[in-house]
Amino acid sequence: MLLFENKEQKLLNLLNFTGSPFKKFVSTGEIEEDIGLVQSREEFLHSIISILDKNENVILPIIGDVGTGKTHLYWALKHELYYYNIVFISLENVVKKFYYNIYSEFIENMGIDILRNISRRLCNNWGALERKFGFFHVAEINKVKKVACEEWAPKFENEESIMDIINAITAHQLDPYKKIEVERWFLGEVIDIRDLSRLNLKNDLRKRDNAYTMLKVLVENAMVNSVLFIDDFEKIVSMMKPIPIEEQKEEVFDKSWLYGSSESPQKRSANKILDKIVKLNNINGLRIIITLKSFDFYEEIIRKFEDIDSNLLKLIKKPIILSNFDDDDVFTFYKKNLEFFFGHLNYFDYFRDFSQSYFPLNKEVLKNIFIQTKGNPREIIKFLIKIFNDIIFSNEELEEILKKYQ
Amino acid sequence: MNTSDDFVLFDSLKSIRINGEFTGSIVSKYKNKVIFSDNIKISDSEGIMISEGLITGFEKVGMELNPISRKVDLKWDLNDTLLEYCVIIPEDTMEQYDQGQFSNELPYTINLLHTATLLLNNHESKLNHLDFFKGEILKNPIAMIRNGIIIADRVVIDDNGDPVFYDCLIVGRDENEDINISYEPITNVDDKMLEYIIILGIEELKI
Repeated sequence: MLLFENKEQKLLNLLNFTGSPFKKFVSTGEIEEDIGLVQSREEFLHSIISILDKNENVILPIIGDVGTGKTHLYWALKHELYYYNIVFISLENVVKKFYYNIYSEFIENMGIDILRNISRRLCNNWGALERKFGFFHVAEINKVKKVACEEWAPKFENEESIMDIINAITAHQLDPYKKIEVERWFLGEVIDIRDLSRLNLKNDLRKRDNAYTMLKVLVENAMVNSVLFIDDFEKIVSMMKPIPIEEQKEEVFDKSWLYGSSESPQKRSANKILDKIVKLNNINGLRIIITLKSFDFYEEIIRKFEDIDSNLLKLIKKPIILSNFDDDDVFTFYKKNLEFFFGHLNYFDYFRDFSQSYFPLNKEVLKNIFIQTKGNPREIIKFLIKIFNDIIFSNEELEEILKKYQ
Repeated sequence: MNTSDDFVLFDSLKSIRINGEFTGSIVSKYKNKVIFSDNIKISDSEGIMISEGLITGFEKVGMELNPISRKVDLKWDLNDTLLEYCVIIPEDTMEQYDQGQFSNELPYTINLLHTATLLLNNHESKLNHLDFFKGEILKNPIAMIRNGIIIADRVVIDDNGDPVFYDCLIVGRDENEDINISYEPITNVDDKMLEYIIILGIEELKI
């Protein structure tokens, strides 16, 4: 019979076996974060949701210092706004093929079924699913295309792209022999010229205008609201700034031969991206969240938008500041992480035996972490990683380790 | 489940008649023919009227029975007992039927251009093309069985030579002679049970 059990030692032994509960101190758009926000950020989250719910087209800047959890916020929003399509992009990854990459992210997020529904619904609206004699669908593709063209021509700028998209949608619904290939086209696959010609299409979605128009069709007809979360938006500003002479590298190829001496290739590229982002505002119902590292960047971005079109300023909302943790947040954050970690390991004794305790750390250590890091979440995680590594790998007693950090 | 009050507009056997103008997906059984229409008008003064309906069945030309599908305007007196029933298919059932047609596209479906007989089990003449089409998918079959009508999106002839109907609307009478409507994704029918199967020609639907 078990008369006595050292629960604390058991927990330490378990940690030796499983490793540290704190491993990752940088959040990314690819790896899902399951832990929600701390108490002080709940209100912050709801203010964002309220802005998104009230505005159909909006650019919402979120300003937060390095490591304050801007990217983590994306995951919190995604979990909270499960009834939205929220797509994350980092500007670093989408500089080239901007619309194509955003479209691909949307498709990955929404799935092909939504696209099939959109295609079906659009064709239905264009009269393709009309029932002759009350029962029979006798679709006349040309008639359907004509209705589609009349309906869409005033809404879209690029005639060639819109024709490609109408041809693709009608073929997808009404021509079973082409359905599979059109679906490949919808998914953004590279289609060779022979297949394109068989489908009566001029280009695949690698062509910028096609990708943009398809993105517009997708977002405007998806039946759910869409949010584009653009992380590290200040990259545009930094790309536009001239590189100081001391940081310039000596290069054999002088880029000014190709791009002229008035602006650097980076600046050109940044301007192009900015123009493309501005064009995204023509997509009805697409809300954009941008994250910035400081207020200076925000002011500079505002100036850039103003230069392009002063009407854009109406769309840009007052920035929301993401501040560091409050002192209470450290405790909540720590407990949430440990509960998630042990819950995942099915070690439910933790919830019973340590519900009121901060073991293996204590209140003093957590307070000290908060003071040392000034409440910066990333620094707090780094600190916790260090302490837990000490607890797991060092031969010292727990009390001695904790003393070092108190 | 729908009660017969919801969809039976006229039933000569049960003396049901609902006056009014109806639009939707309407099936009427007239002698041994089936009429599809998107409208029907029933009134005491004018009787029963269908404009621009599609009548399908068999017509005797000389000694031969020929399949027909023809656009017609029809009018009956209320005393005309040859019109057996008129039913309007509920919209939710039609939606199921529509989804069955488009969710499961089969690219190698045979569309006949003109209406043709696939099977005829009549005391006057017999015709059986089931073996010829074994393994093929034929679009727009209409089948008359002893107690009802099958309107399907496609039919496939299985290894036993029996037709398998996909995405079917079935209209028929139950043991109490009440009219029922049901939707079935797949229906197997023994060919001996069938009076006829007609494949509607796509060109004739376009007229």
